Amino acid sequence: MMNSVKIYSTPTCVYCKMAKDFFQKHNVKYEEFNVAEDEKARAEMVQKSQQLGVPVIDIDGKIIVGFSESELKKALDIK
Amino acid sequence: MYDLVIIGGGPGGVAAGIYGARKKMKTALVAGDFGGQSKVSAEIQNWVGVKAISGFAWAKTLEDHLRAQEGLDIFQPDLATKVEKSGEGFAVSLQGGKKLETRTVLVATGSSRKKLDIPGEKEFDGKGVAYCATCDAPIFKDKITAVIGGGNAGLEAVLDLLNYSKKVYLLEYSDRLTGDAATQEKIKASPKAEVILQAEAKEIFGDKFVTGLKYQDVPSGNIKELKLDGVFVEVGSYPNSGFVKGLVKLNDCGEIIVDHKTQTTSLRGIWAAGDVSDVLYKQNNVSAGDAIKAVLNIYDFLK
Repeated sequence: MMNSVKIYSTPTCVYCKMAKDFFQKHNVKYEEFNVAEDEKARAEMVQKSQQLGVPVIDIDGKIIVGFSESELKKALDIK
Repeated sequence: MYDLVIIGGGPGGVAAGIYGARKKMKTALVAGDFGGQSKVSAEIQNWVGVKAISGFAWAKTLEDHLRAQEGLDIFQPDLATKVEKSGEGFAVSLQGGKKLETRTVLVATGSSRKKLDIPGEKEFDGKGVAYCATCDAPIFKDKITAVIGGGNAGLEAVLDLLNYSKKVYLLEYSDRLTGDAATQEKIKASPKAEVILQAEAKEIFGDKFVTGLKYQDVPSGNIKELKLDGVFVEVGSYPNSGFVKGLVKLNDCGEIIVDHKTQTTSLRGIWAAGDVSDVLYKQNNVSAGDAIKAVLNIYDFLK
């Protein structure tokens, strides 16, 4: 089953880029929200994560803050 | 038994790995990650030979160059937790459980960001307390923020935040800012920026998110409060030398004392290079050069 993956990011955030590179490497489709521009997405991100920092990643409703390869692998069931 | 175990994956460790492999020494490299502290830099403009490159792309070039070497054992991601004497050489214990026996060790573990270590900092980490203005400044659009630390990193964080925040305080403990004069001018020219000197951050408070900061006005001793939404911490770094404490001589800052001609430490068989050493200039190019000096000296030592 395809996971629903959303990433809330800013254009200058290196950890966001690392997360996106990880998704591309593992052929994970994701939807990106640039919270530097998109105020609605920014509010949604803060509400979902209770955090004021990027990246925030939403995988089928599970919220991951920051970039952790091991956490992403676990959430996406990648060996 | 290795000839050389290199600890660290920044520019120093990687340069050493390349030279160690090309010298046909039996070399292992242990690293948590590649690229060191500059990996999160938005743009590196002073790495010799490259006009401009993102920290992330730069780290990848280091890793690719390293992995192209033949006969080099790379333990990554892993960390060295202990170095101890073992027979004629040393044993390097890794977090992953392995123990590497080696004739020589090069410590190139760099440095890590210092924290404020005040009440509220940990509690509100990610809830208004932040360590990467480049990453998180846009989230503080139209908010009030403060940067703690008047060095270059602090000044640059203020510039990042001025693009978004409606007000940015800069708190510095000493009586003057130490970062580049040109950056200071830009900050002083902004009506949104306010520099507070001789201010010691004491407490970060809030409810769900940060709502304010208490600081002490050093000359008077008075505690003052700022109402704000975000605190960006830029108070310098500390050397990652804890795992060799007691083994080699450190200076008062915790940096490994080296002979700057050869990078040898106080203990025969251990070398150090880069930001973990007492080198005066903490620069990627310098770290790479110093680590290469160390490997060439190790090569002579092993002959």
